[in-house]
Amino acid sequence: MTTDPYTRIARMLRATALAVAATALALVVCVAGPSGPAGATSYVPVTGDGSSWSAGALDQWIADVHADGIQINYTSDGSTTGRNNFITGQSDFAASDIPFQTNPGDGSAPEHPQAGSYAYMPITAGGTVFMYNLKINGQRVTNLRLSGANITKIFTGAISNWDDPALAADNPGLQLPNQSIVPVVRSDGSGTSFEFTQWMISQNPGLWNSYCSKAGRAPACGSTSFYPTVTGMIAQNGDLGVASYVSQAFASGSIGYVNYYYALASHFPVVQLLNSAGYYTEPTPQNVAVSLLQDKVDTTDVNNPALYLTQQLQGVYTDPDPRTYPLSSYGYLILPTKVGSSFSTAKGSTLAAFAYYSMCQGQQQSAALGYSPMPINLVEASFAQIAKIPGANVQSINIQGCNNPTFTPTGVNLLAQTAPYPPACDKQGPTQCTTGTGGAVAVVTPVSRTSTAGPSSTTATGAAGAAGAAAASTAAGGGTAGSSSAATSQTCDPTTGACTPTSGSTGSADPSLAPTAETATLATATGWSTTQTLLLLIGLVLLALMLVPGLMSRRLERKRSP
Amino acid sequence: MSLLDQAITAPDEPVSGAPAPQVRRKVRGVRRDMVLNLAGAALAGLSGSWLLGLVAGLAGIVGFLVVAYLLFVVAYAVLVSLTEDRPAVKDAVMTVLMASMAVLAFTALGLVIFFTLAKGWHALIHLNNYTQDLSSTGELAPLTQGGIGHAIVGTLWMIGIAVVFTVPVGLVAAVYLDMTRSRPATTFRTIVEAMSALPSILAGLFVYAAWILTLGFEHSGLAAALALSVMMLPYMIRASDLALRLVPGSLREASAALGAPSWRGEVQVVIPTARSGLATAVILGIARGIGEASPVLLTAGYTKTINADPLHGPMASLPLIALKLVQSGNANYTARAFAAASFLLLLVIVLFVIARKIGGWGPGHLSERGLRRVREASARDAERFARSQAARDVAAFAPAPSGWDATSPPDPSSTKDTR
Amino acid sequence: MTTVTPGFGRTVAHTAPQGSDQRPRRQLVDTKAPAEKAFLGLTRGSALVVLAVIALVGIFLTIKAVPALKVAKFSFLTTQAWQPDIHRFGIAGIMTGTILIALVAVVIAVPVALGLALYITEVAPARIKRTLVSLVDLMAAVPSVVYGLWALLFLQGRVVGVSRWIATWFGWIPLFHVNGADPSNPVQSGTLYSASTFIVGIAVSLMVIPILCSVMRETFSQAPLGEREGAYALGATRWGMIRSVVLPFGKGGIIGGTMLGLGRALGETIVVILIISPVYNANLHILQSGGNSVSGLIANLYSESSAFGTSALMAAGLALFALTLTINFAASAVVARSRSGAESDA
Repeated sequence: MTTDPYTRIARMLRATALAVAATALALVVCVAGPSGPAGATSYVPVTGDGSSWSAGALDQWIADVHADGIQINYTSDGSTTGRNNFITGQSDFAASDIPFQTNPGDGSAPEHPQAGSYAYMPITAGGTVFMYNLKINGQRVTNLRLSGANITKIFTGAISNWDDPALAADNPGLQLPNQSIVPVVRSDGSGTSFEFTQWMISQNPGLWNSYCSKAGRAPACGSTSFYPTVTGMIAQNGDLGVASYVSQAFASGSIGYVNYYYALASHFPVVQLLNSAGYYTEPTPQNVAVSLLQDKVDTTDVNNPALYLTQQLQGVYTDPDPRTYPLSSYGYLILPTKVGSSFSTAKGSTLAAFAYYSMCQGQQQSAALGYSPMPINLVEASFAQIAKIPGANVQSINIQGCNNPTFTPTGVNLLAQTAPYPPACDKQGPTQCTTGTGGAVAVVTPVSRTSTAGPSSTTATGAAGAAGAAAASTAAGGGTAGSSSAATSQTCDPTTGACTPTSGSTGSADPSLAPTAETATLATATGWSTTQTLLLLIGLVLLALMLVPGLMSRRLERKRSP
Repeated sequence: MSLLDQAITAPDEPVSGAPAPQVRRKVRGVRRDMVLNLAGAALAGLSGSWLLGLVAGLAGIVGFLVVAYLLFVVAYAVLVSLTEDRPAVKDAVMTVLMASMAVLAFTALGLVIFFTLAKGWHALIHLNNYTQDLSSTGELAPLTQGGIGHAIVGTLWMIGIAVVFTVPVGLVAAVYLDMTRSRPATTFRTIVEAMSALPSILAGLFVYAAWILTLGFEHSGLAAALALSVMMLPYMIRASDLALRLVPGSLREASAALGAPSWRGEVQVVIPTARSGLATAVILGIARGIGEASPVLLTAGYTKTINADPLHGPMASLPLIALKLVQSGNANYTARAFAAASFLLLLVIVLFVIARKIGGWGPGHLSERGLRRVREASARDAERFARSQAARDVAAFAPAPSGWDATSPPDPSSTKDTR
Repeated sequence: MTTVTPGFGRTVAHTAPQGSDQRPRRQLVDTKAPAEKAFLGLTRGSALVVLAVIALVGIFLTIKAVPALKVAKFSFLTTQAWQPDIHRFGIAGIMTGTILIALVAVVIAVPVALGLALYITEVAPARIKRTLVSLVDLMAAVPSVVYGLWALLFLQGRVVGVSRWIATWFGWIPLFHVNGADPSNPVQSGTLYSASTFIVGIAVSLMVIPILCSVMRETFSQAPLGEREGAYALGATRWGMIRSVVLPFGKGGIIGGTMLGLGRALGETIVVILIISPVYNANLHILQSGGNSVSGLIANLYSESSAFGTSALMAAGLALFALTLTINFAASAVVARSRSGAESDA
């Protein structure tokens, strides 16, 4: 304490001044901020975000090019966020499954990118799959098959239990459990949701509209990036969120839509979807390649960025090829074509190099990841789009150096050419394959032989009709009725309209439903009933048994002692 | 034997000719019957719950424990009531309830810490976890590749900048609160106290809307640091204010009585005295800011690559990547997420232990070196006094002092005897 | 606890030379040296900076929220939907979810924190008291993301069974009802009970327990020693003393602490976005999957909203801001009153 007070004060003041100066300096630096050091010839970091559907492939490519010094920061936060951040200039590029929504039909705000500031480029091809977590007698089901109509009903609440006869019709070899179906959808703005809802509308527009209004989206109800939810559904953020929810141990009975990639990565099976040819397929890279031959990609006007290379998927939905997977589509990159506030030519050259890698070498990894490599016509069209990026090194972008596995001398997609036809057991009918799907391909699910003996073709149509007829009524009542929908183990006869509980032997033609009856013998009321009272009594008696002997002996002893 | 004697002896003691020697009742510490009662009741609870489980079927381990606990409390009450009266039974049961609440809370804390460390362990033990980033690490890459280095760098940048922004302003504002006891100061204190519980997402939303959307800056470490600063500032002021208020008023009065102007009193007396408390405030503020994910989520963007430039480009932080990676569902990414969370947790615990160490000293505590310095100073003073005493003895009739200068350096040669 | 001298900060000046016979009355003059003025200016300045930042947050949120509020008007408080772009949005559902989460958290946290605080102040042996206080403080310092990860991967799977049990036995209480629950079905999925308000509430309660506990502990420890000893002298047991002295005395602390905890619980984000399945209408069944909170809404939607959608988010943020601020002000008032009472009683 002997130090001169003046020195100490001076020291203190100096320290304070230093701190203030540092703060001021930091402020000055950041106000001068956004310009920053640019213009270096080497690669500079580029930032983009968007689709989680394509993210599996993009992340792999980003990891690959990192060795070459190309740094891409990609966040998979949903297509809507990607387009939004592209418009507001917060990112350099975006990945989106769908184009800018200039005239949305679902009541979201129109998106207006700056004219001439962007170009679409298809970058991945793949299938949207339904990943599910379902067990029969403790054994995981890996060969579930569903028709588009049933998927639509599941995701609009019209079918809410796995033992629904309509589902049994798709799966003659399985005895699906009496368990409620929990659809898992996307909570964030997603291009996958948009394409999925667009497909469901093509399957059954009436059902979708009634569902949509029930979910509180009354006035505007087209295909939407924001999936409307009702009680009983789970909404999760991103494909990853959906996949990780479905794969949790407690989440049995759940089914969610994600890219094929996520089902493979989580080692979970996917639904085999019924196509127009009457086959249940899954989106293997080959099947996707076949399907997308019917995807009408707009190539009319290279100077119309709003339309050029966008896709029309209706053809895929109705493709008569037995190998088709109806929910196949392309994922897109939205490339910047103008230097903007944060986008420079240096970034452009980096981004172009990345895009070129993605279209060529990158596609070699697609199939292993669960995506399908791009065909040559789209690769060539994409090169023209890449060349529009300011700063792109145009000389290095050519088809000769492109090492893409789908190329053939004739220009036909090699994968589509060699794609195998589905086995006979995958055909709609009494037989069902036992082989697993998706990420659980090695897991065999035994099918019951007895059911195949029955007249399943008629059962199938009959049950499907039943569910279809019941759809309108259940859709209106399902969510609002609350407790009454608790055990929807009722089957409705399509012709008479009479509904009977499945517990009794009903007029249901499918004998495989019978085993579920025994589960309904227990008391079903949720409230306080005799069962509860009985249980409470048992508890009290047990407690008394424990305590009374000791207490009694004590009391007797005390009485005796005086 | 008089009635009085009878009343004094315990009622259940047999009344005999010679009064039995009174046994001193043990009121403190652990008694044997207490331990036996507890053990017996615990045994009854567990076995009863097991029996009930056989009959009724309970909801897993949680249900078993809940039922066991309820049975335990009932059994304990009954056991105590065998020997004690009603208030004592109540006391015993309530004591058990209070203790079990403590056990419950600390068990939960222990579970959180243990689970996080256990899940993160496989990733934590690899050195590459701290030195590498995730830029070239695929989802299936083993844990011996890639790491959370980019998040560590990002966290350091963000918290560093936030500290530069908040510590000077926060400390000085706390000094303002300490120096003035006016109405505006009281109002200011109330506002700061209320703001210290501001939902952190709002700090993030504010910076996102103002800095990124309105002013057009990009997602960056700086934006995240700004959001953290908005969040940490009220907290820092409140904690520093509390530390300053712990300084005894007598010290201020002493300084004022010596004629020091208030600012000198503050700078030379109050702040040095409260130094350990202030350091604790700063450290706890950092510990709080370092673990916040929501402001960072809105402002920093997200990247898998090391970004050492806080002004440009997205930046990751430890809580942010823990959040993002765990959402992936992939086993290896989940392990990395837990590694990030464990690292964060360890960081916070280390900061916390440091804060405890410093904070435990209390105002005016001195370190070893400080103590030595003070001893040396007082030794010098003693020597000086001795010398001046000697001088006074020599010149017994020295002239009276003309004045006393408080600010002059305590140089023995110039110090005059004031007596 | 600190006393302040009234003359602190003033210097004494003599107005007359000392030599005169009649000493005039000393006059106190506030003569502040330049250094003093500069120092005071600095402190006042930084206080102003802090105030400006705080005000800026409020003002900016308000300004940004005005476009949305202008469109929605009163319906903002009553609508249970979030579609800002077709002007159908409101916080009725989301605010209900926010408050439910906070209430679940507080209902769980209050008994635990009360027991914990009483245990630390009244029961625990003196040598472990300090460690226990440190542990409670550590509990407060654990980052919310750590609680979130734990709740997602450890708690959720275990709570599902408890939820199912409660729903089975107490499903007749509307709050615990679960739509679609079928207790008789042994293969009933746990999904119905996952991602629920209840699970989030449990995780948030762990975050608010230390807040409640430290406020309560502080007031309990201020209970006057005289009254405690008086109670013991009258033959009270420890619990009797606690009931008659500590609890009445600490009532302000209990209420204030609970409100502070409520304020904190209202704003929790990370656990909500990690666990809950977002819905936009009010889900009053706390055990059933689906819920939301304002902070979760902001975190989920900030990046994908249009300009107007962002404005609507700001309006929701503003509502949360107003709610937490009100609760916090009330809480500090209650706590402050109980503290001032402590001083007068002692």
